[in-house]
Amino acid sequence: MKSLNRVKQHVSTFLAAVTLTSAAFAANAQEATSLDQLLEQLAQGKVAQTQQNKQREADFMARKSEQDQLLANATNERDNQIKLSTELEASFQNNEIELANRQDALNKRLGELKELFGVLQQVAGDTKSKFQNSVISAQIPGREAFLDEFAQSMGSSSKLASIEEIEKIWFELQREMTESAKVVRFDREVVLADGSKQTATVTRIGNFNLVANNKYLEFISETGSVAELIRQPSGRYLGTAADMTAANPSQGTQQVAFALDPTGGSILSLLVQAPDTQERVDQGGPVGYVILAIGAIGLLIALERFIALFLVGNKVNRQLKTATPSNDNPLGRVLMAKEEYKDVDVETLELKLSERILKEVPQLTSRLTMIKIISVVAPLIGLLGTVTGMINTFQAITLFGTGDPKLMAGGISQALVTTVLGLVVAIPMVFISTILTTRSRGIINILQQQSAGIVAERAEKGA
Amino acid sequence: MIIFIEMMNSISAFLDTGGQVLTVIAGVICLMWLLIFERLFFFLKTYNGIKKSVIANWQARADKSSWHAEQIRIAQVSRLTEMLNQNVALIQSLVVLCPLLGLLGTVTGMIQVFDVMAISGSGNARSMASGVSRATIPTMAGMVGSLSGVFVVTWLQRKTKRRTEQLEDSLVLQH
Repeated sequence: MKSLNRVKQHVSTFLAAVTLTSAAFAANAQEATSLDQLLEQLAQGKVAQTQQNKQREADFMARKSEQDQLLANATNERDNQIKLSTELEASFQNNEIELANRQDALNKRLGELKELFGVLQQVAGDTKSKFQNSVISAQIPGREAFLDEFAQSMGSSSKLASIEEIEKIWFELQREMTESAKVVRFDREVVLADGSKQTATVTRIGNFNLVANNKYLEFISETGSVAELIRQPSGRYLGTAADMTAANPSQGTQQVAFALDPTGGSILSLLVQAPDTQERVDQGGPVGYVILAIGAIGLLIALERFIALFLVGNKVNRQLKTATPSNDNPLGRVLMAKEEYKDVDVETLELKLSERILKEVPQLTSRLTMIKIISVVAPLIGLLGTVTGMINTFQAITLFGTGDPKLMAGGISQALVTTVLGLVVAIPMVFISTILTTRSRGIINILQQQSAGIVAERAEKGA
Repeated sequence: MIIFIEMMNSISAFLDTGGQVLTVIAGVICLMWLLIFERLFFFLKTYNGIKKSVIANWQARADKSSWHAEQIRIAQVSRLTEMLNQNVALIQSLVVLCPLLGLLGTVTGMIQVFDVMAISGSGNARSMASGVSRATIPTMAGMVGSLSGVFVVTWLQRKTKRRTEQLEDSLVLQH
């Protein structure tokens, strides 16, 4: 709508212009009604123009002297400026030389002081970075601000250090040194592992560690806060932290063993990155859980078999010593055949005995094959996990290339952890399977090879 | 005494570089050789006494031809064979376990190497060295333990078989 209006406007102005010019033409055309008349008009116009030009020429001639005056003025002005510029240049050079001389004089007078200030700047910078990482800053905050200012002012060579400032650096260094020899307690706000803040009595051990509530703390220099380590070291080290918290310095000097991190917290902070057992197992993925489930099943079976075979073995041993066969054990049941078939001939007795034995054997060997199978299958599943992990690794390589080993770490840890889990399940299973098989084979041996002999021995003794 | 302490020190240093798995392997090898020595002692000392008494008992029997005598003979041989075979299967399984444990050590060592790589990148070979030694030393120890046991186990099995046959031959049945 707007543009349409604008177009209309343009058109109307154009039309107006056209009408104006045509009106002018019309005026001329009205004056020159014939060609002759036009010619005459032209001649008159020429006369008028000539008159005008003459008038202009006269004007120009009249003003010529004025122009000369203006030119002279401009030249004069230019000469003045050139002179000024030369003068200024000379003065600049003089000043430059003067400045260099003064600088020389300053350097000469500073002499050894100059080196001192350089050293001061360096020391201030070093000390600042040292204080930032030192756990003493958790107790005495705000030491770096002064050092930072000082290092900057020393960097801009126009300022000199005052004796007070130099002495303050000395004091701070000395304080750091003195404090690093102390075990100190102070109250401070601590960020707990769940993110909440709490004021706690923090024990600072030199410039090595911070301990509070039986736990190790870390000093975060960026925010100047003290936080509980999310993952604490193993129990034996944590115990020393508890001792340190429990120690009561008000009852005189007390000596407590303490596991300190000599790197001032960097080993402890690496601890947070190292995965614990649970996370390790998680790295194995579904394959790892399958292996663990199979291992658990194997352990349950083994436990049941251990108890059963132990009980049966004991009863069989007791049966070997007593003359009367009882019904509660395999050997007793086999020997009972002798009682039941008293008057049969030896061939039939032998047949009856082996019939009984055949009945007992399956109970003694049942589920042992299962354990054997688990001991073989577990490493195979581990191998499966290894291969799937390697597939993941190579997919990562296809996508991101081999540049960053961290990208491949996931697949590789899956590969390795499943192998470990497979072996961890297989090794005890092989061991358990051997023990159980030996046990059951011992009992079966007694049944198969010795039962007839025992019958014979007893018959001879009785006779 | 000092030599003994130095030996203990070097052994514990070796165990430290190999990691926990090496300790387990050391335990398995110790158990294996204890059982082997027990077997050797049995073969060389105890067994001969038992064998003599069994043979003497058999010789003392008047009846050496009936069904009863035959069954008793079988039972006696079986009892002695069981004594001979005792723990041999266990020793054999320990021999098999050694390389498996070595493999376990290799893999845990590799995990450590990759942990170091994940934290510090692949540039620092020195920091990976402890993981690599944890990977290689248990493998070697497992192999050594397994090889040291293999020959003894084979020898024990052959010996058991022969002793059984010899015993059977000594208990003569009369027909």
